[in-house]
Amino acid sequence: MNDMPGPPERRYDKGLSAALPSAAPELEEIDDIDFAILDQLRTIYDVLDPPPPDLADRVRFCLALDNLNVEISRLQRETLVGSGARSTERTRTITFDSTNLTIMVSIVEMAGDEVRLDGWLAPARPLRVELRVAGASPNVADVSHFVETDDTGRFVFCGVRHGLAQLLVHPLADGMAEGLGTIVTPSLML
Amino acid sequence: MNLSPETKRGTGIDTVPAGPANADRPARMAMCLERARSGDMAALDQAVRELSPLLWHVARSQGLSAEDAADVVQTTWLELVRQLNVIRSPQTLIAWLVRVTRRESWRVNTRQHRDPAREALGETVDPWPELEERLETGERHRVLWHHFQRLSESCRVLLRIIALTDRPDYEAVAKALKMPRGSIGPTRGRCLSKLRAMLVADSTWSAR
Repeated sequence: MNDMPGPPERRYDKGLSAALPSAAPELEEIDDIDFAILDQLRTIYDVLDPPPPDLADRVRFCLALDNLNVEISRLQRETLVGSGARSTERTRTITFDSTNLTIMVSIVEMAGDEVRLDGWLAPARPLRVELRVAGASPNVADVSHFVETDDTGRFVFCGVRHGLAQLLVHPLADGMAEGLGTIVTPSLML
Repeated sequence: MNLSPETKRGTGIDTVPAGPANADRPARMAMCLERARSGDMAALDQAVRELSPLLWHVARSQGLSAEDAADVVQTTWLELVRQLNVIRSPQTLIAWLVRVTRRESWRVNTRQHRDPAREALGETVDPWPELEERLETGERHRVLWHHFQRLSESCRVLLRIIALTDRPDYEAVAKALKMPRGSIGPTRGRCLSKLRAMLVADSTWSAR
């Protein structure tokens, strides 16, 4: 139908390049309007869904480790028991998992603005458990509590005050830990 | 050596300017990483403060709840500390962090899908708050949000992360997100192009 002279390839080329600017605006260079769109979107997200104000503090707290050769235990599950209006005792159960060890802790609210931690490690073995609690203010030093697990893998921390905390599980000083290094959890809010 | 010429003091939430003020950031972050490698762990503080908000948005864009996102950000930094000496080039720190945050977020998602008990407890992703109630910054934001919701989910995820990324880091983050080379600064990319076309066609939207 098209009897126009000229090489067909050339015509095809011309048609394609004429169509390009509208067909592929995504290949155009980014400009001030694009930056304005991205800035507006950032403003929206900053307002709608800002990170928790203490996010960086939580990260810095959990990174303040003496030993960097650690294994990370990831949060697996957190459940709340007895949180009904009539309940007098509120218990949170948190499970952390790593390749070699599962850590489960129940956090019970006690009188006097304190909490008790009942913990359990599996597979059960004698290990040293450290509970680091952040100082109440930036000038107050972090406090570490230490306990050892019993032969069923259980451990208890009593009279712990509220705040940011982290669990660390160390091999016992006298060895026998079958190559297990220190295991750390992300910070948890008590 | 002055590592942080524009460090702000005494402000609550650190909002890092998106513009050229951060042009030297890739170099500063590389310096933080190198100092941490040589044993000065406090040098990471600066990186943690500046980059954690972006990582949080990366985790949130993968559908995590606010609490899970905060956990994933911590796990990501713990992972970095463990692998300080594995990162090939300090210049790739941001890309590395974004990749690990995404991987850790997927891990959480996978686990939650396998855990019906969690859904029974109603611990699903926070309901998205109504924009009108929370945002009073003007009509153009409302119009933008309206059109933004019409994009595909993958475009929304991508644009959210890019919007929260500072310009000097575009290239590194685009690479971490496996976007086609050059698809955000120098060129616009498909998703931004779509959104821009809708906005430009809407007379109630303005760039300024």
